[in-house]
Amino acid sequence: MSAMSESEENDAERAVDADPQGDPFLRTRFVVPPRPVAFLRRERLVSHLDRALRTPLTMVNGPAGAGKTLLVADWAAARETPVAWLTTDAAGQRPGVFWAYLLQALRASGTPLPAGIGCPADAGRAPPTLLARLAAELSALERPVVVVLDEYDRATDPEIAEQLEFVLHHAGDGLRLVLVTRTEPLLPLHRYRAAGDLTEIRGAELAFTCEEAAALLELHGLRLPEPATRGLVERTRGWAAGLRLCALAARESPDPQTYLKEFEADRTSVADFLLAEVLRQQPADTQDLLLRVSVLDRFRPDLVNALTGRTDAEPILAGLCRANAFVEHLEQDWYRLHPLFGEILRAHLRVRSPGLETELHRRAARWLRGSGSLTETLGHGAAAGDWQFTADALVDDLAIGWLFTGLRSDELGELFSRMAPEAAGPAAELVRAARELSRHEVDRGLGHLRRAEEGLAAELGRTATGTGTGPAAGLGELLPGAPDPTAEWSLSGAEPALAQARLTCALLEALAARLTGAPARAELAASAAETLRDVVPAHLLDRHPELIALLLAHLGSARLWAGRFEDAQTALTGAAGAVAGASTALAREDSLGRLALIDYLNGRLAGAERTARAALTETERYGLPQPAGSGMGRLVLAAVAVERDDLGRAQALLEQATEPHPALRDPVMEAGRAIATARLHLARGDIAAAFTSAERTVQAAVASPWAAGQTALVVSAAHLADGRPESAVKVLQALPDAAPACTVASARAELAAGRPLAAIDLLDRLRPEDRGGPAVTVRALLVRAQAADEAGDRAAARALVALALREARRDGLRRPFAEAGPWIRPFLGAPTSHGPATEAHPRVRPADGPPPPVVEELTGRERDVLSRLALTMSTQEIAADLYLSVNTVKTHLKSAYRKLSVSRRNEAVRRARDLGLL
Amino acid sequence: MRYEIRVEGQLSEPLTEAFPELDHVVMSGQTVLFGQVVDEAHLYGLLARCQSLGLRVLEMRQLPQ
Repeated sequence: MSAMSESEENDAERAVDADPQGDPFLRTRFVVPPRPVAFLRRERLVSHLDRALRTPLTMVNGPAGAGKTLLVADWAAARETPVAWLTTDAAGQRPGVFWAYLLQALRASGTPLPAGIGCPADAGRAPPTLLARLAAELSALERPVVVVLDEYDRATDPEIAEQLEFVLHHAGDGLRLVLVTRTEPLLPLHRYRAAGDLTEIRGAELAFTCEEAAALLELHGLRLPEPATRGLVERTRGWAAGLRLCALAARESPDPQTYLKEFEADRTSVADFLLAEVLRQQPADTQDLLLRVSVLDRFRPDLVNALTGRTDAEPILAGLCRANAFVEHLEQDWYRLHPLFGEILRAHLRVRSPGLETELHRRAARWLRGSGSLTETLGHGAAAGDWQFTADALVDDLAIGWLFTGLRSDELGELFSRMAPEAAGPAAELVRAARELSRHEVDRGLGHLRRAEEGLAAELGRTATGTGTGPAAGLGELLPGAPDPTAEWSLSGAEPALAQARLTCALLEALAARLTGAPARAELAASAAETLRDVVPAHLLDRHPELIALLLAHLGSARLWAGRFEDAQTALTGAAGAVAGASTALAREDSLGRLALIDYLNGRLAGAERTARAALTETERYGLPQPAGSGMGRLVLAAVAVERDDLGRAQALLEQATEPHPALRDPVMEAGRAIATARLHLARGDIAAAFTSAERTVQAAVASPWAAGQTALVVSAAHLADGRPESAVKVLQALPDAAPACTVASARAELAAGRPLAAIDLLDRLRPEDRGGPAVTVRALLVRAQAADEAGDRAAARALVALALREARRDGLRRPFAEAGPWIRPFLGAPTSHGPATEAHPRVRPADGPPPPVVEELTGRERDVLSRLALTMSTQEIAADLYLSVNTVKTHLKSAYRKLSVSRRNEAVRRARDLGLL
Repeated sequence: MRYEIRVEGQLSEPLTEAFPELDHVVMSGQTVLFGQVVDEAHLYGLLARCQSLGLRVLEMRQLPQ
């Protein structure tokens, strides 16, 4: 499994990236905000906050502008060991995103976390085991790590609070959590308080005292007599932001003291009044700039210039920052508005320049697109209602895969769900197609895809191939009489024009082909994609590894449906080996599940189980939600459990593998589920249900050889169990080309039909190279053994059964022995003194497992008769006791003898006791 | 359901515009924002908006229909 450890290394490498999405724009969220020049350290608060090092939980709460963030940032910066800092944002409202960021914050602070700890891959979900692993890692730390969650009030999901509580509880002394928040968090604060485990700094304590206010004003260059300061503190209630604004406003006024008196007397809401005042005092250019940047969360001079259409942002921002007015410096040349002032400025912007907001979003989106920050670009594009641009940005970045997988898929789906119906152009149609396909709306998805292809062909100056249905070629599989499926796709070709859009198109084509079970169409899309891969910018492919991973997974699945196992394995192995990370988790899990299915279909249970487990590990590590993962791994494990005769486990696995991600619900999945279910029914002896499950039709463009073969296998086995060997033979004969498993089943049916020579002949014709894995070879051996037994050659039969047992041992195969029939009984259980069978058999039996299965269950009446037999009652006595005729009792006895493979009374009683039936 | 939210101080025009769905009236140094509130989510949204604008909420109550 060297591929596995390699991907883990990649994981660790990516960990250096500050953002799970690799978006540099978001790096600012992990930075402890620097203190402004005129920052006043208040020792009483700092020493109170020092207690945070001794309590698991610390809460600093107070209204906007109370100075919470700066207090904690100043304290955090003074720690010897780095503090993990996370500024919660709107995206952090979903648990998956929140934990992905928190892990990143820990890594950014230098807290060692193993790569194998995992990462959420779905915005809405954090894997519970991830939280447990994280808590365990933290609890093992020598010194506790301090984690500060700033603006925690924005994490509104109660689930996040529950999860934090869980991690905090289990991390023990390894974690000191500091929540900086406007509202009380949903954690059970009373419990922490009662246990003395909570450090609390609330609004009242944050309020400035007169002395502190005087000191702060002095830092701003304002010296006031004591009564004036007191008046100011009363008017602002010691509110930090109010004092700051006051200082700024008064400083600019010719007579600060009179000005402050006026302020005291004024009845306007404090922030509102002061902000309007301070804003008014700024030069017109600065005012304009402040109002315009209010639409941005974070900004840098270039971006601000793009919004103002001027070139003076750098000095203005530096000046505002120095004056401690409105603007806060983050890191490098990134700034943000104080959250409170940002809100108020936005309100002013709307009143002063109605309609300008949209234009500003549009400009921001265009600038950000050039700077490579896709998420922000999309957000502003959508806010501007500029859907054509927004869709273009997504497609041009090769980010279409984000609509299917990764942390942002929900967010993006929600964003594009607002897309106006009039938004036109190929990119918009591609986005629509992706959204429809991701919900399994195949017809509607194909409609949009076709329009996108027509649009792209027109832009390229080509006509869409054939009927104008874009990938008309592939449609041959859907529509009889459509063009030759090997024809060229009109959008393939190595020229650079529209390469990203064409590659996106190819991905969606491959997906559509997979969903409709159309392998030729998938091949066509894949070969176009192969060409385009070399044409699109390499850095985009690096940034979006999920694109190629998804493409390969779709191609592999389509090939798998067509029964081209080796080609499918090539593609699926490629997808499974994609760079590890949240965005590729779904494609990797999906591919591993399908590789496991191929192993199973080849009769290699051990391999199937290993690969299926690897798929489940992916699901679990990345917290793919049960309905959104592909669920294929569980189906394969269920089928493997049936082969091992562990029916309860098979049932449980099938129940867990409920609904797959709608974009992965393809014919392979449906057929896989039908087969696993039918085999379970068959193993339980519920033949009618087995028939129903096996014969459920799976909608697909082309028939799948193995799906048909597997169905025939189940149906023929059901016929055999029901005593109709001729029907069993016929079902298998109807197959166009038989897989080894089917040939073996045919042989078994022929034998049951009384034609041992035909059976052996079929087996002899199997070529050794395609004999398949143990699930096939063991069955073949058993057919030979049965034939030998029937021919009276007990020694040969015994040797063959022994061989079969040995072959079955490694994969833990039990089902073939259970379904073989009563003839095998003497070769399995008999404790003879020699022969390989005796040594092999016990190993097949799990140590704590049930006794060897009774091939056919005894009926209730047969049991009744047997239990009376055990009391040494005569046939007449039993008949009288059960109110049955003597003949009926004899019939029951005969039947029970047959099922128990015995021929005499005392043998039957002994055997029934051994089997725990009495 | 109809609600009124009483906040401290007089609100400037831009700030009242931040509550376009509500009417407002100024009385004795306080601003009363009032009007139809769609549901609980809206109600909590209004409170959050007050908080993010640095307004001090003095009173909030449901009005008889």
